[in-house]
Amino acid sequence: MPDDIAEVYRNTYPALVRFLYRKVWDAERAEDLAQEAFARALVHRPENTRGWLFVVAANMARDEARRAAREKRHLTLLKSEPDAVHSTPEDDIDAETRTKRVRAALDELTPRDREALLLWDAGMSYDEIAVQTGLARGAIGTTLARARRRLVDAYDAGLEGGQHVARG
Amino acid sequence: MSHVDEGTLHAYLDGELPPAERTALETHLADCATCRATLTEERALRERASTVLGSARPAERPAPPLERLRREPKRSPWRVRRSFAWAASLALALGLGYSLRTPRASTPLQTPAEPFAFMQKGGTSTQEEKPQSQVQSQVPSHVQAPAQRPPNDRRAPRAEDELVTRGAPRADSSAQVATRVRGAAAAAPAPRLADSIRLEARVASGALADAERDRAAAPSLFVDGAPAPTSMAANWPVISRRVAKTILGEEPVGLPGLETRTFRRDPGTNAVVVEQALDSSTVIQIFQRPAGGAYPYDSSEAAPANASRARPRANEAEGLFRERGNRLFARFVRGLRVEIKGPLSADSLNRLLEQVAPLP
Repeated sequence: MPDDIAEVYRNTYPALVRFLYRKVWDAERAEDLAQEAFARALVHRPENTRGWLFVVAANMARDEARRAAREKRHLTLLKSEPDAVHSTPEDDIDAETRTKRVRAALDELTPRDREALLLWDAGMSYDEIAVQTGLARGAIGTTLARARRRLVDAYDAGLEGGQHVARG
Repeated sequence: MSHVDEGTLHAYLDGELPPAERTALETHLADCATCRATLTEERALRERASTVLGSARPAERPAPPLERLRREPKRSPWRVRRSFAWAASLALALGLGYSLRTPRASTPLQTPAEPFAFMQKGGTSTQEEKPQSQVQSQVPSHVQAPAQRPPNDRRAPRAEDELVTRGAPRADSSAQVATRVRGAAAAAPAPRLADSIRLEARVASGALADAERDRAAAPSLFVDGAPAPTSMAANWPVISRRVAKTILGEEPVGLPGLETRTFRRDPGTNAVVVEQALDSSTVIQIFQRPAGGAYPYDSSEAAPANASRARPRANEAEGLFRERGNRLFARFVRGLRVEIKGPLSADSLNRLLEQVAPLP
């Protein structure tokens, strides 16, 4: 019996957006992709909706990252970026800098460590992370420990270095 | 028991250690000061990592109603912009710049007929009530991530099929054209040839009756960034928020964080408009009314251009209304049908519309 998608949607949507955001680094795009993933789930009715969603989302984000890299130079800034609606310029600068540092720090992780960390942060269990990453369940704790340490170390190094910002 | 490795400690801190191991660990911790110290360190690390990661998060916005997603896969604004360019140039190349034929041909034409209009226009004759944004979203489905489609994705033929099977000449012929144009633009990665060809055949075989063509062309003439003409709502009576709520049956919606200047009421239909200032010189109007009613706004002020054109009622019920040089896009927020208008680019307006939410 497939999960109740409406229920999953309520509970998982923000986490899925967050998960995607840390892959595509564009809030609106992350929402778009999350909604697309749910739209597909509505069609496929997978058995394990949540797990399925994150697999699909991860795939979409990977394609997206490639495409975004290609298209980035074509982008022009909109007259009114949505974020400007919510915050003052000072907040934006701080938030932007912080985001860049986190992004740079995440880039220092191996893909598998990063994936495990993002999935954990999205609320997935060790069992779910194991299924999605192909890691043994018993290895998840070690993976997360390493991922956390690298993230914090790289972030702090970025703070000290000052110049160390996102390369993408 | 030798000292515990950090992986086990993290699993323990994450609450993911199997019960037997957890008991063993806790027993060990009671005796081992070294491991207790390590646990304290790892706990701090875990929290720190969580804080660092948490500092890079998107602003949380409410999820759109699940129902809206059923036929509405979202598009990339990036790809939309790219397809704009394609559609615009191809539309001109194909001689679809019917804007020349509109009564207001004197409007500057430096900006090509904005292809967004094509998409907005799409689906105007569908029987079912659906926000036009759905239509725009459906259309480029094959443009979107053709390389990545999960296995068993049976959704593939979406917009094109719908357009084809809805049958008979209709008002959304412009959407077909736009679809085909964008289809051509995206043909390289995803040759959905059958659909493209069918559409092409439809267009070529004269599905664009003259009358339709006129109608299709009418709203496509926009000048990006043109100042908004006098608003039709400018003379509507100002009301209080409380009254607005009473009229709507729920809290009025707007852009959170923006200064709300005025609530007004359309004396004819009891629709409500919320006027908000984006900056000192840019005012956004957010029209709203309970969903399901007849579409209230006729093009009364743009009448000279549109009066002779006798747009069918169904068209207006679709919520697709524009003044020249201005734009109005629609979506649903809770029980309200919401439209937005302002002197911004179509893209900007759409992005703002996405953020509309009940006012705090």
